[in-house]
Amino acid sequence: MVTELPKTDVVIVGSGWTGLAAAYELANAGQRCVVLERGGWRHSTTSFGAPEEHDELKYARQKEHMIDTPIKTLSFRNDGSQTALPMRRLGSFLPGKGLGGAGIHWNGQLWRPLPSDLNMASHYSERYGQGILDGLSVQDWGVDYDELEPHLNFFEKICGTAGIAGNVEGEAAEGGNPFEGRRSEPYPNPPMKSSPPQDIFRRTAEQMGYNPFHMPSANVTRAYENPYGAQLHPCVYCGFCERFGCGYLAKADPIICIYDVLKDHENFELRTGAHVLRVEKSADGQTATGVTYVDEDGRELFQPADTVCLNAYALWNVHLMLVSGLGTPYDPQSGEGTVGRNYSYQTMAAASVFFEKDVWSNPFMGAGAMGMTIDDFNGDNFDHADLGFVGGGYISANQTNGRPINYQPTPPDTPSWGREWKQAVRENYLHHIGIVVHGSSVSVPQNYLDLDPTYVDDYGQPLLRMTFDFPENDRRMSSYVLSKAEEIARNMDHVRAVSTSNQAAEGESYSVVPYQTTHNVGGAVIGTDPSTSVVNRFGQMWDHHNVFVFGACLFPQNLGYNPTGPLMGLAYWTLDHMKSDYLENPRPLMDA
Amino acid sequence: MTQFSRRAILKQMGAVGLASAVPQTLAAQNPYAELDGVPWFFLSDTEARFLSAFCDVLIPEDEFPSATQAGVIDFIDLQLATGYGQGAGLYMKGPFRRGTLSQGYQAEMVPAALIRNFIAAAIEQGGDLAAADAEQREGVVSALSETEDSFGGAQGRVVFEELWALTKEGYFGDPLYGGNRDYAGWEMVGFPGAHAYYLEFVDKNVPYRAPPKGIGHIPGTNRSASLGASAMMKKEG
Amino acid sequence: MKQIRYAALISLPVLLGVTWAVQAQDFSDGPSVQSLESRLDDDGVSFNAQVEQRPDDDLLEIGRLVAMGGAENGGSGMACITCHGTDGHGDGSGAFPRLDGQPGWYLYKQLVDYASGARPNQVMSAIADRLTEHEMEAVSAYYGAMPTGTIPKHGDVAGTQLQWGGQLAAVGSAEKGIPACVNCHGANGTGLAPSVPYLAGQYASYMELQLQLWKEGVRDNDAMNVMSSIANKMDESDMHAVAEYYARVTSEEAQVEDEQYVSPSAME
Repeated sequence: MVTELPKTDVVIVGSGWTGLAAAYELANAGQRCVVLERGGWRHSTTSFGAPEEHDELKYARQKEHMIDTPIKTLSFRNDGSQTALPMRRLGSFLPGKGLGGAGIHWNGQLWRPLPSDLNMASHYSERYGQGILDGLSVQDWGVDYDELEPHLNFFEKICGTAGIAGNVEGEAAEGGNPFEGRRSEPYPNPPMKSSPPQDIFRRTAEQMGYNPFHMPSANVTRAYENPYGAQLHPCVYCGFCERFGCGYLAKADPIICIYDVLKDHENFELRTGAHVLRVEKSADGQTATGVTYVDEDGRELFQPADTVCLNAYALWNVHLMLVSGLGTPYDPQSGEGTVGRNYSYQTMAAASVFFEKDVWSNPFMGAGAMGMTIDDFNGDNFDHADLGFVGGGYISANQTNGRPINYQPTPPDTPSWGREWKQAVRENYLHHIGIVVHGSSVSVPQNYLDLDPTYVDDYGQPLLRMTFDFPENDRRMSSYVLSKAEEIARNMDHVRAVSTSNQAAEGESYSVVPYQTTHNVGGAVIGTDPSTSVVNRFGQMWDHHNVFVFGACLFPQNLGYNPTGPLMGLAYWTLDHMKSDYLENPRPLMDA
Repeated sequence: MTQFSRRAILKQMGAVGLASAVPQTLAAQNPYAELDGVPWFFLSDTEARFLSAFCDVLIPEDEFPSATQAGVIDFIDLQLATGYGQGAGLYMKGPFRRGTLSQGYQAEMVPAALIRNFIAAAIEQGGDLAAADAEQREGVVSALSETEDSFGGAQGRVVFEELWALTKEGYFGDPLYGGNRDYAGWEMVGFPGAHAYYLEFVDKNVPYRAPPKGIGHIPGTNRSASLGASAMMKKEG
Repeated sequence: MKQIRYAALISLPVLLGVTWAVQAQDFSDGPSVQSLESRLDDDGVSFNAQVEQRPDDDLLEIGRLVAMGGAENGGSGMACITCHGTDGHGDGSGAFPRLDGQPGWYLYKQLVDYASGARPNQVMSAIADRLTEHEMEAVSAYYGAMPTGTIPKHGDVAGTQLQWGGQLAAVGSAEKGIPACVNCHGANGTGLAPSVPYLAGQYASYMELQLQLWKEGVRDNDAMNVMSSIANKMDESDMHAVAEYYARVTSEEAQVEDEQYVSPSAME
């Protein structure tokens, strides 16, 4: 028995960054918004305070802020010939639950895309010839950098982003990233501090002719008020960022930055414990009529709405479309269909640097976005002519944490347990830094998302099935950029030893076990061609014009940066077009 | 990677079986002798001794305490009795199949059952690990860490990974959960704990000297409140 | 070796609207340099007391002399102990904060800020202005190394207010967007060296006044520059509640030490 609720203007599925941004903008544009959140209510002040939040076991290991795997997970296989099995335990990536979503437990590494990231297919074809993209499903986003710039800029201000601009209206600035696209404004706050190993990295990178800069950070560096009137405090470098909420109000999160200044708005209603089962369609299938969800008491409720916004985590947005029959599922055999197509990830590798005793990294002092970075091998910032791959990644000496259950640096050839291991951990813990290679991920026809034929969630719905392995392109890319990172590491002063690791090493399959990154992207991608995209360039579904889609599921392939900046740029771009064009005259904003 | 055959492991276990004839006094010198009589939440005394012998191979005593001395067995006992051990965070719907390495945990049991069954099978097949000498213990642990053979229904390497993860969690996690006793693990590496405020230090090339403090730090001491069974016993005693 | 001169104690009749008579102070009431030095064997005490360098007996001796009113530049104008006590406990009026066991670096920064005017206070600015950097460091380390003792006596306060104060301290307020005090001031409000003072056992009236000064923007010298924005979100009853709450918090440390060290003010 489904109970039908009174109709609202907009129903928003998910209360993370995009969901709350949508609610803020649409509520203030006169739309009555109902936000449905699967998890519970929580608040950065009362839920994430020290010292209780600084519990590595509870939050980093047992992952209390993350999705309840026993209730809802996905199944996984490396290729279509295998039987997918459920991801029984969280590992490689960590979708969130609860108010604020995964925006609570991110690191705060806040990037813009390179202009060439957004028209990747045409850019590479023009520069290197069409052949360089053979075998890949790489395509343009359909929205260019200049169109997104005001929205990228706005979100940087929402977060009080700390950094040094490299390119304000074409003016190159010292200390900034010389490769970034034109910015209309500098960052609102000065960059984070850097640790002694990061200073060594910077000097070495400079000597090698590279262009090091402070990673742009949503860990705020001074007391700050954002454009919505929310207040953020400076970061104390506590080393509990990723996987934890920030009780200092120093890491920009959706609760502090948006919810607090929205919660009393008459057009805003948040319902927690609301698990959305599906989007309902009209009789003719042309539009959505609302969503059906299960509330905390297990009741099924139908929330009718004029407009439906899908703001769940990238994977769950795709899942919702598949179980709701929105769009056409992708078929890897025929190449037809778009929902689930172009799933991609992030290609992670690292060099580990072991210093002499007189260099103190004190790794427990750190912040999620405390990084010294070079972009010289990201995107198409370097010549790909003879390299045999597209894409790249940033190389960054990051000092995010020294939480000791996970952080046990041991030099090459140390046994993995026992007496020597113990000795090595104690000798190196305070004198080590990791240099991350944060690589792009191309889309290929054989990596995709669909529904699992066997396994179901607690609501009886089939699990999402992920079929993914690292494409050869990305293995080559990762190996190349890692070699550059290793070269820097070996040139650094006071270094005793260097080791490397590469998740996408030749012969190694992608595994859901070791944590890599929560940057699952694609599956419901943006574009200008309905045969290769689920939504048009405004984030509106081709098949159902009153369904708008947000988040990293829109990325046609993953760029070498963390996704939050680009996806929030897209979100504000979409919201801008909803407010200025769609809402007064609901219709398809592009011809199919 | 060396593939250890079931036979090789049984041989190691057999060596342990022989060693169980060593005099009690020798065994009593091991740190795990101190665990006798602890009112465990989950473990039996036999299981506690087995785990102690196992975990002290992974983190042996040197200038810093062994796993057992740092309370790792208390920690594991508490974990097996509560959420982790009972399957919190695990999707447990069937069908169950042995997957690829990439597909991760696919055991049909929650970790508490996995570990209990493993210990029973290991003792049945090889004898009392706690009574073996150091070399034999190391041989057994090493062999188990790499084998696909089943002990009590799960592959040796799978159980090993669970136990190794638990050992590290117990040694380096907040002492609130029974391990990391007197901040043993944090003292060893120099991690200051849960009260974290480094604004004035993060960019300085200097050692940081503040002693560690956990979530349940007892002011004026180098100790923390603990939920472990041994700590409970001391309190009651 | 610097020459240290001793200055006579001067009494000021009226300060911050509080009238009091200078009590005859016997310096021997205070902890000896030897006893403080031995406390520095504890890493926690040593870390807490440190300003720029690990305190030693020379530094503590200078600190003790400064506390008693001696200083190179002809004395600080008045002795710290006059208002803050030989034991750093203040005079019990609540107008003067406790200094015993505060982080040395924090105390030092306050003196620097008093001298520069970054923390405006007529009396303290005049005093700090006459101290050398080294003397500021010494007296800060001296009080920083001092054991914390018992809490001064309290007035009445409603239980519901204490409860609200405790809630603000422990978890803050989601409604008002106030972060929990414990984030930076440590569990039980015992402070986080070097820059975050303890609140546990501090005088309520002093803490309440400081919150008001922060809210008004008169005081604006905290390391993170957030106290004004936090105080801004508090109304008078919040400030009163949290101040009264923290005044009553006793750390176990203080209780343990009480057995060995009886503060003079506790003997009244």
